This record gives sequence, C-alpha cells and structure tokens, in this order.
Amino acid sequence: MNIFQVSSKNLLRRKLRTFFTVFGIMLSTWVLVTLLGFNKGYEQSLSNSIDGMGFQIVLTAKGCPYEAATLMLKGGTGLRYMPEDLVRDVASRPEVLQATAMLMHAEFDPNKGENGGTTVFLGVDPKTYPSMKPYLQFKQGAWFADDAKDEIVLGYEAAELEQREVGDLMILPGSEVEYKVVGILSRTGTQDDGMIYLPLTATQKVFKKEGELTMLGIRLKPSVDQNAFEESLYQLPDVQVVSMAQVKNTIMSLVSSAKAIVMSIAFIAFLIAMFGVLNTVLMSVFERFQEIGILKSMGALPKDIFKMILIETTLLCAIGGLFGIVIAYGFSGLSEAAIRYFLPFAPTGSLIIIDTFIVVFSFISITLIGLIGGIYPAWRASHIRPLDSIRSE
Amino acid sequence: MKTKVWAFFLLFIVSCQGWAAVGCDLNDPDRDVKRLFPSSTGYKTAYQSIEKSGGQALLKEVEALLGDEFQGLYETIDVPYTIYTIYKGSDIIGYIHGINQKGVYGGLQVFLGVDHKGVITRFYYQKLTSKKAALMRENDFAQQFIGLSWEDFKSYLPKTHEGGSEKVKQIKNPNVDDAADFYSTLRAVKKNLILMQVFVFENKERAQ
Amino acid sequence: MNRFIEAHDLTKTYSRGAEQITALNNVSFAVDKGDIVSVVGASGSGKTTLVNVLGCLDNPSSGTLMINHKVIFGEGKLLSEPALTKIRRATFGYVFQKFFLIPTLSVKENILLPSVFQPDHTPDDESLYQLMDMLGIARRENHLPSQLSGGEMQRVAIARALIHKPEVLIADEPTGNLDSKRSNEIKDLLLRLNQENGITVIIVTHNPDIAKIGNKTLELVDGKLMG
Repeated sequence: MNIFQVSSKNLLRRKLRTFFTVFGIMLSTWVLVTLLGFNKGYEQSLSNSIDGMGFQIVLTAKGCPYEAATLMLKGGTGLRYMPEDLVRDVASRPEVLQATAMLMHAEFDPNKGENGGTTVFLGVDPKTYPSMKPYLQFKQGAWFADDAKDEIVLGYEAAELEQREVGDLMILPGSEVEYKVVGILSRTGTQDDGMIYLPLTATQKVFKKEGELTMLGIRLKPSVDQNAFEESLYQLPDVQVVSMAQVKNTIMSLVSSAKAIVMSIAFIAFLIAMFGVLNTVLMSVFERFQEIGILKSMGALPKDIFKMILIETTLLCAIGGLFGIVIAYGFSGLSEAAIRYFLPFAPTGSLIIIDTFIVVFSFISITLIGLIGGIYPAWRASHIRPLDSIRSE
Repeated sequence: MKTKVWAFFLLFIVSCQGWAAVGCDLNDPDRDVKRLFPSSTGYKTAYQSIEKSGGQALLKEVEALLGDEFQGLYETIDVPYTIYTIYKGSDIIGYIHGINQKGVYGGLQVFLGVDHKGVITRFYYQKLTSKKAALMRENDFAQQFIGLSWEDFKSYLPKTHEGGSEKVKQIKNPNVDDAADFYSTLRAVKKNLILMQVFVFENKERAQ
Repeated sequence: MNRFIEAHDLTKTYSRGAEQITALNNVSFAVDKGDIVSVVGASGSGKTTLVNVLGCLDNPSSGTLMINHKVIFGEGKLLSEPALTKIRRATFGYVFQKFFLIPTLSVKENILLPSVFQPDHTPDDESLYQLMDMLGIARRENHLPSQLSGGEMQRVAIARALIHKPEVLIADEPTGNLDSKRSNEIKDLLLRLNQENGITVIIVTHNPDIAKIGNKTLELVDGKLMG
C-alpha cells in the first residue's frame, strides 16, 4: 500500500461530496475548454473567412473603383485600365504565389428599372480565378471551360434577379449574342452575389477592351514580406494597391479585445474551481482532524500529510478536468449551436475548435489551480499536532 | 478610421447567413408610387408569402387557380411578395404589386397597379431582358391590360395559352418573331392578380 | 538493571485563559524493559498528559526524560516536531480509547498504514499474518472497519500500533469503549504481548481490573505521583 492508495480511498469516504466537487470542477473545465475552443475557433474561422475572400492584395489602376457597389453608384463611370503587359509582369514576379487578372465592366441597361440601370460584369480567367476564390461554391453547374467564349456564371442574386438556371440563355444589354448559363454560385453574402462572370478574353472582346485589365488579385508566397512587396508595387506608374492585410489586422484587433473578455470569464471559471476545491478539501481536513493526528502519532511527518492531502486534491481536479474535457468535446456541437443562436454575425466554419493544445493546457491548468486551492488545507493538515487532535475529543 | 469602417463592413459580410428568397420590390418606391398613382398622398408596404399565409395548402390552391405549377429555383413557397397599399388621405385608392417571372433571356419584373376593386390601372415592366425589349415596353402594349381584372384572367390557361375573357384574347404580342416572353408576361399578370386576390381582396372579405 | 525510561521532576503546565494549570507536578519514576505499567487516577489527574510526555507526543515544561539512556527532554533540550516523530516511529506504538481506523481501508490496509509513512519498516507477509493471527483478526483481513465489532476494531488498532515492532506500547484507556467481556479479551492480549513478545506496556486506565495486570502502578492525584 502507498500514500496514493490511501488518498484515493479517502475520497470515497464522502462519495456525494466528492461527486459534487468533481462535478463543479467538471463544469469549470467545460466552460474553460469551450471558451478556449471558441477563442481559437472564432479567430480561425474569421481569419479563414477573410483569407477566403481570396486576395491578399488587389492591384488596380489609380482612381479605379474596385468594388461593384461603388461602380454602380457612379453609374459605371470612372473605370480605368491597366495595360495587360504591366499586369502580366507583376503576376510573374517570384514573390507571387497566385495571381488572377480581371476586367470589370459596367454596362448601361435601358431595360432595367424605369430609367435604365447599370449592370456590372466581371471578366475572369477560368484557369486562375476559381482556385483563388475557393469559397465560391456552386448551387448549380460549375465554372466555364478554360477556352469558353459564350458561357456565363452568375452570382446568386444576379441569377435570382434574372431568374436564370443552368442551361438558360442570356443576352448582354444592347447585344443579341446569346450566352449560356453554365453555373450559379451559392450565396456568399459578398458583392460576388450580384456579379455576372464572363470569361476574361470574351469580356475584353465583347466590350472592346482588348489588352486592358482593371484588377489583379494577388496571393503571396507565405515567406514573402507583404509590406515590402506592396511598397514595390507603389513604384509602378498609375496603380493603386488595396491590401487586405490592414483590414484583417483591424478585425483581428477587434477580435482580440473580445478575446480578453472571454479570457476573463475563463479566469472566473478558474477561480470558482479553485475555491470549490479549497472549500471541499479544507472541510474534509477539519473532519479528519483527529485521524490526521493519529497518523502523525504513528509516524507520519508533516510532509507526508501534506502530500496525502495534495494528492487528494490533484485527484479531484484531474478526474473533474478529464470529465469536463470529455463533455466539452461531446457537447461542442451544442455549444456552437447556442453561440450561433445568440451571436447572429458568427462567421462560417467551426466556431469551437478543441485541439490537443487546449485539452492539455486545460487539464494541466485546472489541475494546477486545484493544487493551489489544496495547498492551504494541506498546510493546515500537516501542522495538526497529534496531541491537539487527541485532546479535542 | 476608413480601415475601421472597412473592417466592420467585412466583419458583417463574412458573418451574414440565412437569407430568404428575394422578392420583387419597386426600385424607388417614393418616386414609383407617385408616378403610377399621381393623386396618391402616401403608401404602406406589406410583405406577404404563401408560406406565411397558408403554407402548402395555399400553394396548391394558387397553382390550381393559375393552371400551372410553380417551378424552378426561384418560384418557391417562401418568396416574399411586396404589396404597396396606396392612400389618398385616409382612403385606399389602389395597390401596386410586382412579381418575378422567368423570361427567355432574363428575369421579367411585371408590376401592376390596380384600383381598390382590383381593376388594372397600370401595367409596367420594371425589368425586362429581351432582344425586342423596346417593342415590349411600348405604351400600346401596356394599354391593352388597363381595365382588365381577375375575372378576365380567371379562365386563361398559361400552359396552353388559351382561355380568358374576350379582352384577354385580344391582347396582341408586339414581338411577332417570338411569343415566349409574351406568354410569360400573361402568366405573370395572371399570377400577380391571383396573389392580389389572396393577399389583399380575400383578406378584406374575410375581415368584413 | 534494564532501565528504558527515566523521568525526573517532569512538570507540565499550560494555560487555559488566565488560569495556569499544572497537569504534571514534579513527577519522577522509571520504567524497565518488559514492565507493564498501569497509570491510574481520577479524571483530570494528569494521566493522559503523563503518557503523552512519555510517548513523545508532547514536550514537558520542565524536568528530564531519558529513553534508552538518551536525553529526550531536559538539560536544555527541546525537540522539534519532526524529531519527536522520528523517536515515536522507532520506539512507540499507540492505542487510544477511540480506534481511529480509516473507514475506507480494509483491516489489513489499516494495519499497514504506518508503513506508508515508513516504507523501510514495511513488514513481510509472514510477520503481518503472525500478528493478525495472534490478535485473532486474520480472517477479517479484507473486511472494512464498519463490519467489525468494537473489540475487533481495538485489536486492529493494536495491530496497527505493533506493526513496526515498537519497544513500548502506550495504551490510553484502551478498553474505555468496550464491554467487560471485550475488555477482558484486550487485557489478556496485552498480557500475552508482554509475556510472549517482551513488549513494554504502559496502560492508562480507570478500570481497576485492567490496572491489576501492571507490575508497576503509577497513581496520579492532581498531577502528583502518589506512593
């Protein structure tokens, strides 16, 4: 027999109390693991969502509106173009992992609304665009073929407005050339929903913009210093650089203040667990006042008693922590559903990610916190003098 | 500051989920209402859907009245319909209601203005994609719908393009080359009138 | 002569509020190896204080205590708690009126409890079963304390006190919680331990019947030794 067995059997003495203490620690661990998992998952899915927007950098001609909303507000005017050679030169730089050239075109449609309206078309390169916008999923169909000329892909809202399905025909405003709808995108919640996509070369041709481009979407190799690269782009004549990094940094700094709040809740969960343990163990020490005295009379040193009480505490915390982790894992789907219910603007993707690090970290920290909570009772117990305890009869 | 606004905007758009089907609204209600009902002094906007008003049973009923099924990705039970009730002072002088209809080369948005009894006073394509769009938008074509009501379209069959009152039969297709968009328009008008019956006039009868 | 414990002028005072209580008043005596010493006296006469000091559970206020010819207290010496523990481990086994068995441990585990804290004193199985046999609790080895009678519990407590083979067994009212039949059993047991194993026994008791087994009797009245 060893001291560990004695300690573990001591816990069985008041089964209900042990159960409730373990239960309390379990709840605290559950909260802790879920919050940590949420912290990680939320940040990651937000980051993924932003990265999933495709481009780290968008290069446009100076003064050119790069998003459809602005373009439509301006009635399709103000588009400026970059020469294709310059774009190809940037795209082929060694720092660039992926790049895709685009031509945006706004066409006046007299049959849209009472006084006509602007429809925005985006010519994209079927070879490079889809892989840079992986979050664009299809509700129907797929991207056009690499060499397609007369095929069209619609954003969800554009398709809804035009009542188009895959296989339907479309004509461009003021033209009688028929295009076949080959794909309809699922809803993304971005401006892509209202976009009408055409093959790049066909767009250049039909709108008579051969050799001209409006945008270049760029994704850099992971090792490249984005700031330095952007700096080098500014050296080019008449271009502007739109960087997603700034936007992402700002969002992430907003998120990190939310994280601070979450961490303080986790800290409170820690404290609850600690005082729960302290209370339980202290109570059980007081109950065993005489018994601990007797143990000392039979040769237990203060450090033996200290060790015994601390093992009891550690066991309580370890078991509670383990169950808490299991529950957090098992109920993460439920927690996620609850978060989504209460948090209307939650990003897509897994909101709670419980990885090995979180599991190990939570387990160790809840056990450590419990240990800290056990130190005082253990110290009290180790200082019980055998005589006092026997006298206290 | 600018970056922050951007950040919020992005945070918002990467977060939004759970969209409903898109309905058919006036592009500029204030201006459009005044144009369609020049004597109006105000209007109210109400959103209705078949799902909300009667569910699957109502859908079957509407399809039976239409003589055609709802079809495709967009003609669904949860499409919201926007009904503008037009006031002059405190009196209701009419209603405006538009629906989306699939055309050959794109979506048609067919708006009707009706008086308080349900008689068509205005016919209007808010949106139209057609090789002969100009012909379809001519006033002569629109005029042929004025004065018609649900009673005229009751017996019209969109599937066979037959039936309807004499006045309906006399409506002429301005595009002699292709009748597809013309027939789609007739179906849209009939569907529009049915939904007005369901959402406005039958509700009123029930209320009285 | 085989002097094992020598006490000279042991005095123990402590204060209870403003009052100064003298629990032991200049007590001097000697215990030889193999003695059975009965400590008797009325309640509050200082019996328990005396055995606590003898058993190194407490320091005296003054006087000298020598165990096995070594000075434990006195001559300016006062031992720390860990030092006292070490002497207790080597020399004494204790039995109290209450048995203080751990309810979640079996008979055998309760008996082995001291060896948890003194792993180098872990007995071999043979001596463990011998001890349990002698105390008549061998067939109860896997039972929990709650399944035992009072007499059996006290015998388990005695076994626990003897497992590390102490030279002196201190029993403070060992039969206080037992009926006369069980008391007699314990009395016989203590006698046997003394005679067969040569253990020195110091018993504190109210019971004149138990007190009779002592070859020496220390009678205390108000902290003073009579006779």
